[in-house]
Order: sequence, then structure tokens, then C-alpha cells
Amino acid sequence: MKKPANAKFLETRGLKKYFDAGKRWIFSPNIKKVHAVDGVSLTLRRSEVLALVGESGCGKTTLGLMLMGLEEPTDGTIFFEGRDITHLADHERKDLRRKIQMVFQDPYESLNPTQTVKEIISEPLHVHNIGESQQERDERVIKALEDAGLKPADTYLTRFPHELSGGQRQRVVIAAALVLEPEIIVADEPVSMLDVSIRAEVINLLAELRISRQIAVIFITHDLGSVGFFADRVAVMYLGRIVEIGTMLDVLERPQHPYTKALLSVIPVPNPRLRHERIILKGETPNPVEIPPGCRFHPRCPVAFDACRLSDPPMTTVSKTHQAACLLMPK
Amino acid sequence: MQTTLQSSTTFSRPESGFTVFWRAFRKSRTGLVGLIMLAIAIFVALFAPAIAPYENAAATSVGIADIYQPPSAAHILGTDDAGQDVFTNFIFGARVSLTVGFFAAFISIFIGGIFGLVAGFFGGRWETFLMRLTDVMLVIPDLPLTVVIVALTKPSLMNIIFVIGILGWTTTARVVRSQTLAVKSRKFVLRARAIGAGRLHILTRHVLPLVMPILVVQAVLAISLAILNESTLSFIGLGDPTAPSWGQMLNFAFGRGAMSVGAWWALVVPGFGIVWVVLSLTLLGQGLEQVLNPRLDTHHLMPGRPKVGTEAQAAHPARDIILDVRNISIHYINEGKPPARAVENVSLSLREGDLLGLVGESGCGKTTLMLSLLNLLPAAGQVVNGNVYYKGRDLTAMNEDEINNIRWSRISIIFQGAMNALNPVRTVGDQIAEAILKHNPAFPKNKVPERVAELLDLVGIASAHSDHFPHQYSGGMRQRAMIAMALACNPDVVIADEPTTALDVMIQAQILELLDELRKKLGLSVIFVTHDLGVVAELCDRVLVMYGGVTAEYAGVDTIYNEPKHPYTQELLKAFPDLTKPKKKLSSIPGYPPRLDDLPAGCRFAPRCPAVFDRCQMEEPGLHVLKNDHHVGCHLAEGSK
Repeated sequence: MKKPANAKFLETRGLKKYFDAGKRWIFSPNIKKVHAVDGVSLTLRRSEVLALVGESGCGKTTLGLMLMGLEEPTDGTIFFEGRDITHLADHERKDLRRKIQMVFQDPYESLNPTQTVKEIISEPLHVHNIGESQQERDERVIKALEDAGLKPADTYLTRFPHELSGGQRQRVVIAAALVLEPEIIVADEPVSMLDVSIRAEVINLLAELRISRQIAVIFITHDLGSVGFFADRVAVMYLGRIVEIGTMLDVLERPQHPYTKALLSVIPVPNPRLRHERIILKGETPNPVEIPPGCRFHPRCPVAFDACRLSDPPMTTVSKTHQAACLLMPK
Repeated sequence: MQTTLQSSTTFSRPESGFTVFWRAFRKSRTGLVGLIMLAIAIFVALFAPAIAPYENAAATSVGIADIYQPPSAAHILGTDDAGQDVFTNFIFGARVSLTVGFFAAFISIFIGGIFGLVAGFFGGRWETFLMRLTDVMLVIPDLPLTVVIVALTKPSLMNIIFVIGILGWTTTARVVRSQTLAVKSRKFVLRARAIGAGRLHILTRHVLPLVMPILVVQAVLAISLAILNESTLSFIGLGDPTAPSWGQMLNFAFGRGAMSVGAWWALVVPGFGIVWVVLSLTLLGQGLEQVLNPRLDTHHLMPGRPKVGTEAQAAHPARDIILDVRNISIHYINEGKPPARAVENVSLSLREGDLLGLVGESGCGKTTLMLSLLNLLPAAGQVVNGNVYYKGRDLTAMNEDEINNIRWSRISIIFQGAMNALNPVRTVGDQIAEAILKHNPAFPKNKVPERVAELLDLVGIASAHSDHFPHQYSGGMRQRAMIAMALACNPDVVIADEPTTALDVMIQAQILELLDELRKKLGLSVIFVTHDLGVVAELCDRVLVMYGGVTAEYAGVDTIYNEPKHPYTQELLKAFPDLTKPKKKLSSIPGYPPRLDDLPAGCRFAPRCPAVFDRCQMEEPGLHVLKNDHHVGCHLAEGSK
């Protein structure tokens, strides 16, 4: 396990995913494409928490699914520990799956209602033929449950998902990921379906795991407010691209991109005395079939000017750790 | 690998799946009646030689005098055209009919099940091929085809079973395919792929268990269809002559003059057999479907039942209070279980133009409370105490007609989950028009489109989108459309039940801004239900925090956020991410909210409370009123000002 902490661990280069919009007809060979992810390059370090933030339709979930190998990238490459894992056959990917696990948004939907907790958590062990004996597998299941904060574990083993609360279900999903001892967890909106009072405990759990088990976490969310606590770095996505990336403090305290600023301003603040000016963007993320020319954010941007309609701003360096793509940034 | 998986599933469970199923099935009266009727038929068929008074197909004594004898002591159901005992033939006929039914159904279900699973799960060319095949089979009329095939082959029992079985799989294949598609798209299948599970594993461990219930229901229906088909074949003379079924009894009786000599028993008896078995299977199928089909297991919103102990009282509310809820208690009554005390002794008042935030975790009774205001509680929910006054009139004492005049036109509600609340096959404009006309039938028809456009404009949707269907709307637009519907009749009070929960932060901010604008523009009074204290801080006037069905704290917005007195409110605020202090560990409230049918003895928050002391375990705290109309349901607030 002793590997340099800042070594490149997971890396994507120019990753793209286009879906066909509608069916191909005989007479229209050029069908439109949905540009779900449109050139994303980022790196994840060992036991680092990277938050991927953006509105629905920005491609953050598709990006997560590509990292998991559940969607085939249209273009670009993914490296894991220096190895190209962009296109792998099922049997080649199987070992990799142990190392990269996923936690889904909806704990009500992501558990099979006919399986008990024990069956759910031991299933990955059977799939990967882990454990010499039933006893060893049982021990692993118990440990995963306890690490996920479901104690005492044996009181949960025989329960079905409908007998658990939302927070407990999400812990079961996390336990089913932990049982394979992964090195990366891709968590896709793991708390947005949960009550506020339960969100904190799931976030705390992920934060503890990255310390106790050295797990790197990619935390996908639409709510910048929920990542402030444990993310090391934040990447803000808009319409298939990363528009700003930096350490948590870079992004929270010195946001450069107008989109990041707007996202920060609408985080609800639980104090009426701190009512503040909110930048509420008009409309919603445009249809990723027809990407606006120039800067893709300009139709909703409160500070857009003429040049924004024409040129697509490149990623510009703010500091060693902080980059953003906006024409207004000082050169 | 499969075998090891199987062995692990025999791991000790509290109760087997069958026990759970049986407990639910027992409650279905139709299903039980069907099961008993079928059991009788199977019993008769199995023990036919013991029950029948004569030997099978043995003519007792063939003579003209024995033909079509009416019921007598020797032949309790008379004799048939060959002088045989009708009762004996009836009993042995059950064997043939049931045998054909079960075996033919097995073949259809087997073929249909596999085709449906393969087509639904693998998709692509397999699906195209199998579904086209199904379509072709469905177009060909079954019965003539069956007749032709049976007529061409030797009409033996085996042939009949095969032909009926092989022609009867189409419905099963279609039903199973659509269920497989539905299961396949669920997130737990994606999660299984993420774990690294292969297709076979996913098919057998995740898809099949959820398709099985539907297969069982289909099987029961297939049996009855096969029995009917066999009877038809036999009736037109294509049955196996060595195995007389009920259909053949009918055929012989009909063809050999039973009608002309008035021997009704020769026709009625086999007919009764067919009806009995088919009816039993249909009832059983219905009962099974109720228990097994998850889609039918929903509780619908129904008008409430007559209430316990409510009487209209003359009320004198303060002048500008528009909605006044006094000491309301709502219980869910479940047979054989203690009632779930979903709401207990909650009071609130809403002033004109105010925005009241109703905050609590899921299951705290906040939605129940709101549904009760409009008398929309599910059938099991009853208002057991308290009153709701709308402009001084008691809503709880009104009958369904009276409340209909208030519901939606005076007090309307924006439901959570806009996608499910809109009808997917009608345009949004159409649905808004319906909301206008339903509560105001006198509204001039030609003005409706104008009004729809006006409402859409009010919520920020271009009227060009009026002709679009809900699926063409984005999540935020759907929620706006729901708001437009709620405003259709110019209500005074709008209840917004978690209107922003499933939406992105930016869209959430847009919707909140819209509600606040509408409130100012139209003078609406709004109750905003949410689990998120942060959302309401920016626009509420007063906040009611509920916990486990009771009021935890009820006060002006500034008091709630800056001087909370109830430990629950304090903990909720601490659990909130504070971006001014990043990297601080989030505090979370340990434990889970109480189950409403199993509440702790004293204070409902005591098991999770950081400030709990002895008294909390025994005595439920009252609601203490502090200065500035600040209500706190905690022992610690007693005596403080």
C-alpha cells in the first residue's frame, strides 16, 4: 500500500462521450449528437477527495460511469496507475472493478428488494470468488457493515432493504462497495435523496473512510454546499466541460468563473440574518445537442460580453493549483 | 459459481419468503376462495376412483331404458347418451381437463418466460426476432389454428397438450419482456454491473426474482385458458376419444339429442365443471396479483372516513388569520396493530400573505398534516381530534361536497415529485385547463386558453410550451407547471409540499424566488413543507419544526435560527454545512426518527437528544410558550421566558 501519495493514480485525457440523438434514418446520415461529456482532462491522486459539481445535464454522471467502465468513451483515454483502461473487455475489467467501486444516488432504487442485507453485501465476494471459506466471507461482510457504521452488524444481516431507513440503506450500498476493498469510490449524488439530518452522517462516513482505508473518492453532486467539508479539490462542470478546478479553498474563496460564483451564491444559508445577494441564473442547462458557439456558458452568463459569443475560452492558470476557463480572467 | 450462491441463500432468515407471502395472501378473500375451489377440483381429480360410484367409462347396463335417465338414487346426476353415470364421468373428466390445463400451461409459461426474458434482457437482434415472432403469432387466430393442427394430427391427449401449450405462450412472452425491461433499468442492476457481475448472474439473481411473481400470475391464467381451449376442441369433436373430458361430455350430449329429450343434466354437469375450475383459477390469479404485483400495491388518496369525535364549534379567530389549525391529531388505523400516531396535538396559524415553513425529517407527519387540511388523507388516516378553521369555518366538520368547494379553489397544493403528479399522455396546457374547469364549470370556454397562457406566464413559462407534453419539460419547468395548476382558481392558500427536493440547487433557487414573487404579487399565503432548514431561512416569516408527529418548536424565523430552544432544532442547525468554516467535521444527529406506531414513552426525541435527562424518559413534554410567541416542546423550556 505504501505508494507516493501524490502520484498520478487515475487520470483522464480529453475524455468525450457523445450519444446519438434519435434514430438514424436512411436519408439522414448525419444524425445529431448529444455532447454529454466533451473533452474532460483531470487527475485524481491516491486517497484524495475530488468533488465534481454541476447541474443536471452537465455530464457529471456520464463521466462517473465512464470511469467505472459502465459507459464506453467516444474519445479520449483513462489511465489507472499508468495503465490505459479506456477500452477493456469484460474479463480484463473484472479485476479492476474490485479497485473502483460506485455508490449511487438513490438508495431506494440501488438495492434489490428481494435480497437480504447479507446477500447484498456478500454478492460481490461471490462474483469475484473472494474468501476461502464461508466463515471468512462472513467475517468480511461483518467488517464491511461495521466500517459502514451499521453496528452491531449481525442485527442487520437478515433484514430486507424496505426494513431500513434511507440513511441505513445508503450505508448498506457503501458497505457493498467496501467489501471489495476498493481504492477509489465514485459516489454519484450519494446524499441528495436523503434528509438533511442524515446527509451529514453519510458525508462523515465517506470522510472517515478516506482516512482509515486510504480510499480516494470522486464525489459527484449538484450542491457545492455539501462538499466543502471534506473535498480536497473541486471541479465545476458545465455542459460537458470542466470550467473551473482547484483546491477547495481556491474554489470556495477565490472563485473565478461566473458559473462557480452563481453556484456558490445560491447555497442556502440557514440564517435569516445572513440573507445575501443571490445570483440566480435564468433558464436551465441548455440542451447538449446544440452547444452554444463561443463560450458555452454565455447565454446564461450575467457578465457575458461580445467576445464570449465568438471564442471558446481555454483553461487559464490562476495559480499552481487553480485553473478556470473564462475570458474575463486576468491574463 | 451458481451453486455456491444458492447455498449461501439458505442462510438463516427470520422467516421464509413463503411465510411472508402467505400472510399477505390470506388477506385476499378472492384469492382464498379461488384457492379452496381449485383445491376441491384437484382433490376430486386425484381421488377420482375412490369418489366415483362406478368405474370409469363402464356402461352399467347398456339398454335403451338406461339412456338419459334423470337423476335418481342409483345415478345421482342421471345417465348420459350411452347409459353411463354422469357423476362418474364428471369426476373422471376433471382428471383430463386439469391434466391438459396444467401441462399445456407449463409449456406455454416455459416458452413464453424464456422468450420474454431473453428478449427483454439481451435486447438487440434477439429482441427484434422474438418480438416479431410474437407479433406474428398474435395475429394468427389461435383457435382455428389449433383446430387445424389437431385435426391434421392424431387427436391424442399428448398432441392436444402440445398444441395448446405451444400456441399459448405469446401473452406471457410480452408480459415477461416488459417486466424484464423495467427491472433491467433499475439502479440495482447497474450496481451489480459495477460490482463486476456477469450477465448470467444478473439475470438469475436480480431479474428473475422480480419477474417471478408475474410469471406465477400468468401461469394461473394460462391454466384456465388451456382448459377452456381443450373444452372447445373436445366440444367440436377433436378431443382424445380414450380420455373423455368435460368438453367431450358436452359434445356427446349435444350431438346425441340430450337437448331434444330434455336431459339437461348431461349438459349442465360438465358445464358446471368447466365454470368451477376456470372461475377458481381466475379468482386465484386475481388474489395472487394483488399480493405479488408491486404495481398494484399503492395506497390511493381517498376522501377521509367519518371522523371520530368532531363537532362544529363556533370559532372566533383573530381577524387576519386565514388558516387556523387547532390541536389536531391524526392516527393511521391498521387492523390488528396499534394505531400510528402520525400527528399529535399540533396547532399552527397562517396569516394572510405569510409564508410558514413546516420543517421535519421524512416520516415526521408533515405531509399527513397537510393532506388532512384538504381532507385528502388515505383511507386509514383519521383526524381523531382538533379542528381546522379556514376563514372561521371548520373544515373538519364539512362533508365531501362542502370541502370540494374549498379544495383547490381556495386552498391548493403543489405536490412533491412533479413528474408523477402530471399525466404523461396529456399536454400541460390541457391539464391546466382541466384544473380551471373542474372547480369552476361556469368559466367561459373561449376564455380558457387565454387563462392558461396567463397562468403559464405567471410562472415564467412561454405560452408556446402549452401544447407540450410533460416529458418535453425539464424538471424545473414541470414544477413551474404544477405551480400554475395550483394557482388556476386564484386560491388564498397554497401548500407547497417539498416542491424543490428533487431539483438542482440553481433550479431550487429559481422556484423559491418564483414562490416569493407570487406571494407578493397575488397576496398568497403559503405553507412551505421541507426537510431542509436552509431552504426556508431566506423567505419564511414563521417556522414550525415537527419531530415524530409533534411540535418541537414553533416561532418567528429569526428566533428559530438564532435562539433555538429545542435540542432538535439546535442539532438540525449544527448538521448544516457552514461554508464559512470549511473542513470542520459535520455534526450529525445519531439514531433515527421514531416509528410512529412504536413511539417511546416520554419525549419522542429523548433517544437521540444530547440534553436528555430522567424526566424525558417518562413524561411527554408539553408545549411551553415563551416570549415573542415562541412555542417549545421540551422540558428544558419550562419556566423560562
